[in-house]
Amino acid sequence: MMEEAKKKQTLFGRFKTIQSTMMVSFTVLMVIAVVTFMIIAVHYTNNSIYENSVDYTTQIIKQVNYDIDSYMEFLGNISYIVSRSGDVSNYLFNEKQSDQEKEKARERIIAQFETIMDSRSDIYNIAAVANNGQSILNDGEDKFTDYIDVYEQSWYKEAMEKKGGMAISSSHVQNAIEDSYKWVITLSKALVNYNTGQNEGVFFVDLNYRSISELCSNNKIGNKGYIFILDDKGKIVYHPKQQLLYGGLIHENISEIMLSEEEHFVSGDNLYTLSKSPKTGWTVVGVVNTEELFKNNKKAESMYLIVSLVLLTGVLLISSVIAKEITKPIRQLRDSMSMVEEGEFEKANVSITTQNEIGSLANSFNVMTERIHTLMEQNIYEQTQKRKNEMKALQAQINPHFLYNTLDSIIWMSEAGRNEEVVLMTSALARLLRQSISNDREQVTIAEEVDYVKSYLTIQKMRYKDKLEYSIDVSPEISKVKIIKFALQPLVENAIYHGLKYKETRGNLMIRGYKEGEKACIIIEDDGAGIPPQIKAHIFEERKKEKGRKGVGAPNVQKRLQLYYGPEYGLTYKDREGGGTVVIVTVPLTSRPDDER
Amino acid sequence: MMNDKIKKRVMILLLGILSFSLAIYAIRGVHDQEEDRKKVIFIPKTLDKTNGFWTSLIEGARLGAEEFNIDLEVVGGLSEEEVEEQIDYIQKSIEKKPDVLLVAPCSYSETADVLKEAVQKGVRLVLIDSVIEYDISTAIVATDNYAAGKELGHYAKSLLEKENEIGIIAHVKGASTAIEREAGIRKGLGEKEEMIQDVVFCGSSYNKAYDQAKKMIEQYPKLGMIMGTNEYASVGAARAVKELGMSNKVKVVGFDNSIEEIKLLEEGVFQGIVIQKPFNMGYLGMKQANDILEGKSIKKNTDSGCKLITEDNLYEEENQKLLYPFVGQE
Repeated sequence: MMEEAKKKQTLFGRFKTIQSTMMVSFTVLMVIAVVTFMIIAVHYTNNSIYENSVDYTTQIIKQVNYDIDSYMEFLGNISYIVSRSGDVSNYLFNEKQSDQEKEKARERIIAQFETIMDSRSDIYNIAAVANNGQSILNDGEDKFTDYIDVYEQSWYKEAMEKKGGMAISSSHVQNAIEDSYKWVITLSKALVNYNTGQNEGVFFVDLNYRSISELCSNNKIGNKGYIFILDDKGKIVYHPKQQLLYGGLIHENISEIMLSEEEHFVSGDNLYTLSKSPKTGWTVVGVVNTEELFKNNKKAESMYLIVSLVLLTGVLLISSVIAKEITKPIRQLRDSMSMVEEGEFEKANVSITTQNEIGSLANSFNVMTERIHTLMEQNIYEQTQKRKNEMKALQAQINPHFLYNTLDSIIWMSEAGRNEEVVLMTSALARLLRQSISNDREQVTIAEEVDYVKSYLTIQKMRYKDKLEYSIDVSPEISKVKIIKFALQPLVENAIYHGLKYKETRGNLMIRGYKEGEKACIIIEDDGAGIPPQIKAHIFEERKKEKGRKGVGAPNVQKRLQLYYGPEYGLTYKDREGGGTVVIVTVPLTSRPDDER
Repeated sequence: MMNDKIKKRVMILLLGILSFSLAIYAIRGVHDQEEDRKKVIFIPKTLDKTNGFWTSLIEGARLGAEEFNIDLEVVGGLSEEEVEEQIDYIQKSIEKKPDVLLVAPCSYSETADVLKEAVQKGVRLVLIDSVIEYDISTAIVATDNYAAGKELGHYAKSLLEKENEIGIIAHVKGASTAIEREAGIRKGLGEKEEMIQDVVFCGSSYNKAYDQAKKMIEQYPKLGMIMGTNEYASVGAARAVKELGMSNKVKVVGFDNSIEEIKLLEEGVFQGIVIQKPFNMGYLGMKQANDILEGKSIKKNTDSGCKLITEDNLYEEENQKLLYPFVGQE
């Protein structure tokens, strides 16, 4: 049964209190809510940071790309102006020119070159080379080296292929110029021989990285972010750590960039954003370190965490208070109920503090308790009344035969002129009567009861003379102990009438009283005839056969004693060794006063 | 009773969570704080600005320092031969109590004691380019000089004709690089080793090497090849051969690269040069220093690599990247 009951417990059934159920539920719900919020918030923040960063980087690299395009366009314009000038064409291709004219043209070209180079610090070399071997370079002092075939250089070939368009090389070392081995980007453009209308030479400009590097590094993307440029073949045009790349000391994720169809992707710790220029064919790549990107988000995350912890703590504290408040009337109800269980109805009344279900429950409880209480009180009262009536009914009265016999004896004695004896007996009878009607109390002290027995025995002694001998020895310890009225006298009467009366010789009656544990024992012992076993077995049953009050004594006393003191008290009959009967009367040392019962 | 108990538990749990998160926050905060920059002193063999090898090596070290956020100080003399001067610099550097000392020792034996003293005083030592006789450094970053010498020797062997005699101009006597390269060259030459007529030491001076080469050409009429073991020796020899107009007869091979060496290679005076990767060497030296300072486990010996450059492969893109330092931003 218990097992089954346990199985049927609900989800929250395992908690000992409703408050803890509420607390735990709140906690779980709150934690779930906060964690969900955190996950969503962090995810959202991450996403928006990522998107913002992509937008921002895209904007920047588009700008860089645009700047580079305009830079190249600008240089292209310079190239156009120079290459279109008649001087260059004449100097390179016109073989009919006189040396003087040629020299003049050369001077003008060099002046032009120098002007350009002076105004632009990003140009290393500026030159025009013709297929026929004629050339003009920078200030005219620099020379092409003998060891390189200029016409085999890729920038030369590409310019020729482009037929007037501008070719832009990747990063390379300009080996063609004597004593100079510089990393440059070469812009080259075919030159037209005006006489033939054919492309017969190349004009080129070698750029250093000043402008490009400026364009790239001016646009910072974070502390660890950087911008680099790839050409259409995936070769590095510019990289802020170009030397480290060339040395193979660091590596850039070039193949992935070249293969990527997306404009941005994440690889490793980096976010790559790409922008390809159709003009230069170059791809500007913005690299952002994601760790750096989300560094602020980490701060936000810990901020979220702290806020949610504080919220959680606050909510839990408040919820504990709320739970306590909500369950307070329930706890009061529970406490009241356990008081009712213990029978303390007076304190069980619940004060109603709420108007809700619990309030009405408490109200009903109060009404119910009150009714139960009233019913119980009534019941107790009725029971008491019933018992009192019964007790009254059972209370032994002085045996009328005894009264009659005694009065008879008195008459007989006064006729015989035994005045002293008459006085003695009459006074004993008077005392007996007074004692029996003296008060309404149900209980008297053992001393009083023994006095009563003494008065009785005094009379009987006078009647039976030497046939009756008695002794009374009651310990003073129990003299104050309460006993119900007329408990001993009927037993003494029984001892005399059923025991000693049938004895030919002198009969002895001994009354002893002492304390035994929590009980007071009074033993009434006679050496009379004893009780026949068939009677003894039914000694406490009221015998209807015998008429009169004679047989009523022992059952009556026993019933009263047990009614009053409980079943563990009462009478015990024993056979006396050497003949006779022993009755042991036990009563509690302390018993409740009359009124309370 | 039960309520109180649960409440207590909940409170303890909450306090636990709070203190835990605060602890994490605190640790993060501490972690975020900028650490002091570590100090590294680098003592190259020479600060000679005309020397392509050492300028590039120092450049690499500087870039490495920038990359790893290290406070780098470069000190040293102007000549590779001034061993005493370098010992002096090392001693002064020890007094500055750097976290790591990067040294390219000029001498295998003479600088050994002072460097031992440094190590004994708790300075961690990273050797660059050359080594010393005691094995006391935490890390070594150098070209595998024996292998480099062997490659050059092997190449030289292919150039030699039957009765060609060989002269070697080495740089500094007692420098580990000179010893190892010579041994490598001898190994690479194989049976031609016996054609070596003379080994002289130029003391890492262009002029001395030039004089020695001239003298050698005079002394050995059958001389078909001069081999230099570093930039000074190689360039000095090549200058002499060029000046005497003997480049058809006497072939020159050597080590390292500079603009002059490349020009001489283009001109055909040099038949081949084994170039080291000085920039990488300097950078990797700083990387090792940084790894040591960060407590990472490191490989003790780092070979920075080398490459044989001849007229044929000079213009290959990969070699161009090695030959010419990229100084685009300047």
